Amino acid sequence: MISGNSTEPGGPALRIENLDKYYGTFHALRRVNLAVERGERIVVCGPSGSGKSTMIRCINRLEQHNGGRIAVLGTELNDDVGNIDEIRREVGMVFQHFNLFPHMTVLENCMLSPMIVRKQPRAQAEATARRYLEKVRIPEQAMKYPGQLSGGQQQRVAIARALCMQPQIMLFDEPTSALDPEMVSEVLDVMVTLASEGMTMICVTHEMGFARRVADRVIFMDSGEIVEEAPPETFFTTPRNERTRQFLSQVLDH
Amino acid sequence: MVSLLRNQKVRNTLLQVLYVGSIAALVLAGIVIARRNLAEQGITSGFNFLFKSTGWDVNFSLLPATANDPYWWYFLIGIINTLFLGSVGLMLATIVGTIVGLARTSSNDLARLLGRTYVDIFRNIPLILQVFFWYAIITHLPTPRGAHEAWGFLLTSRGLYIPFPNVSNAAFAAATLAVVAAIVLPTWLGRTSRLSQPIGQRRAIQFTAAAAALVCAAISLAVGRLPDLPLLDFPALQGLNLRGGLRIPPEFATLAIAIAIYGGSYIAEIVRGGFKSVGKGQVEAALSLGLSPWRVFTLVRLPLALRAMLPILANQYVWLMKATTMGIAVGFTDFFMIVALTINHSGQTLEAIGILMAGFLAINLSLAAVFNRINKAIALKGNQLRG
Ligand SMILES: Nc1ncnc2c1ncn2[C@@H]1O[C@H](COP(=O)(O)OP(=O)(O)OP(=O)(O)O)[C@@H](O)[C@H]1O
Ligand SMILES: [Mg+2]
Repeated sequence: MISGNSTEPGGPALRIENLDKYYGTFHALRRVNLAVERGERIVVCGPSGSGKSTMIRCINRLEQHNGGRIAVLGTELNDDVGNIDEIRREVGMVFQHFNLFPHMTVLENCMLSPMIVRKQPRAQAEATARRYLEKVRIPEQAMKYPGQLSGGQQQRVAIARALCMQPQIMLFDEPTSALDPEMVSEVLDVMVTLASEGMTMICVTHEMGFARRVADRVIFMDSGEIVEEAPPETFFTTPRNERTRQFLSQVLDH
Repeated sequence: MVSLLRNQKVRNTLLQVLYVGSIAALVLAGIVIARRNLAEQGITSGFNFLFKSTGWDVNFSLLPATANDPYWWYFLIGIINTLFLGSVGLMLATIVGTIVGLARTSSNDLARLLGRTYVDIFRNIPLILQVFFWYAIITHLPTPRGAHEAWGFLLTSRGLYIPFPNVSNAAFAAATLAVVAAIVLPTWLGRTSRLSQPIGQRRAIQFTAAAAALVCAAISLAVGRLPDLPLLDFPALQGLNLRGGLRIPPEFATLAIAIAIYGGSYIAEIVRGGFKSVGKGQVEAALSLGLSPWRVFTLVRLPLALRAMLPILANQYVWLMKATTMGIAVGFTDFFMIVALTINHSGQTLEAIGILMAGFLAINLSLAAVFNRINKAIALKGNQLRG
């Protein structure tokens, strides 16, 4: 089923089959299956330690899976370094703790990879970077260093940095959970805009409002398994699984 | 009056004045007492001896030296010897430390084990023992006739002989300076023009500067070349002796090796700590952007690790500089040994020790000042979140 070695435009964005991941003897992902179409927006939620981060980190090989298959944009993710590079070029990632490069300005953060990996000339990389900084609404911070920005601003830079590579898929791992409450919405707004423009997105988040607004499907994970998978209306109103109901009653109560 | 004493600034100033005042009084009293005691023993204190000739020889000097030279000239020779040994030792120690430190952070089990063993051994044996150890090894090397040879280098008990350009001293000094400039200039230019110029232009400027410096080096070698001799002079056996090339005396080689090996074990730990302090998050972000492991190393891990290492490294350098005083253990005429000999021959103990302390203070304060400046220049801006 998984075949082809190029990122052909037609096929699904992501296909995960029977994915297994162990940390030593600990079974962190148990036969996970997931298919994501192009332009789809997926929200992943679940209790702490359920394997959400592990799953999305397997997609760009920050973690190596032990069983099953992953194909991104038709490219099979295996030990082939060429495939890994190809996939990482097309998949952007935003982290909980921003992970900006503190020794580079905001602009340099955004230009680095396009210039080195995509071999763009400096002028083009700078124009792209400024365009995306505009888009995340912090063009005036371009010459500052990450340490001089607020958390919300840093996370928006991180989004811009990932977008500058013009990826086809964006992964978000709890992008707002390290932020003060008043900064959460400025980041979510950017993500909503991105979703409305048709970006394929896989977001681990506990922002249920965001899930309701933009998700095509919500996925609930527990103990390394996908327990429930449904469009937001069904997911929030009539969850089938007992563990989902418990989880929802906890996060929605607050 | 009472209200004035309750003022924080006034209090601080008052304490400072008291503090400095009492130290000054102590020093002054010490000097007066020492002078009186010395006068009673018939020793004249003062710095007039600096202009008398020493009457003894030094075994290593980068400047011309004879027994007729005055003491001040010898002190200068000592300081230059210390600086020379120090810079060679620190450079080698940094290279050793970087290699061992990287081995200690590598994902290869064997490399980690070797690195760890190295650090455990050489950090825990006192430096003086290591100095004696290397000295014993070097002085037990074969005589010139049975010298070990490799790539034109000769290892003998009389020292290490290396090929050397046949040029005048001045030309060699000029060429060395030019080569140093070829390394320093591009780095410096790269920093000052970081944001103002596009990367291509910056590279061009850096490249031109380095090339110009290297051309200067080549010109000084060509101009200062000794007539009718090959440019590179290889050491070779002539009769019972070795001729040609540059001889590195066993004493200098011993100390340089000892400082490199011993200092390297400390620097290795600093290097390891520096790399460990780099957030995993930054590395993952770089990987997720598609950068290759090598680019992640040069563009993210190394620059961040360097920033973490530099302040501790500066301390280590200052400390290793003081390790050059081991020269006296094997008879290398570093600054400390010159001072010790001066005391023996002239009896001007207090003055000589005063000069020794001032000299080391000056060397180490300048070293610290240079590092502080570099540190300030590259410090990360803003608040850092440890992720
Ligand atoms: N590097 C690792 N080594 C060992 N165990 C790990 C490692 N990373 C994660 N785990 C374990 O794997 C399980 C899943 O972790 P994961 O980080 O994917 O959870 P998560 O769903 O993202 O949780 P959270 O909401 O707290 O981020 C956890 O039990 C965790 O302890
Ligand atoms: Mg997580």
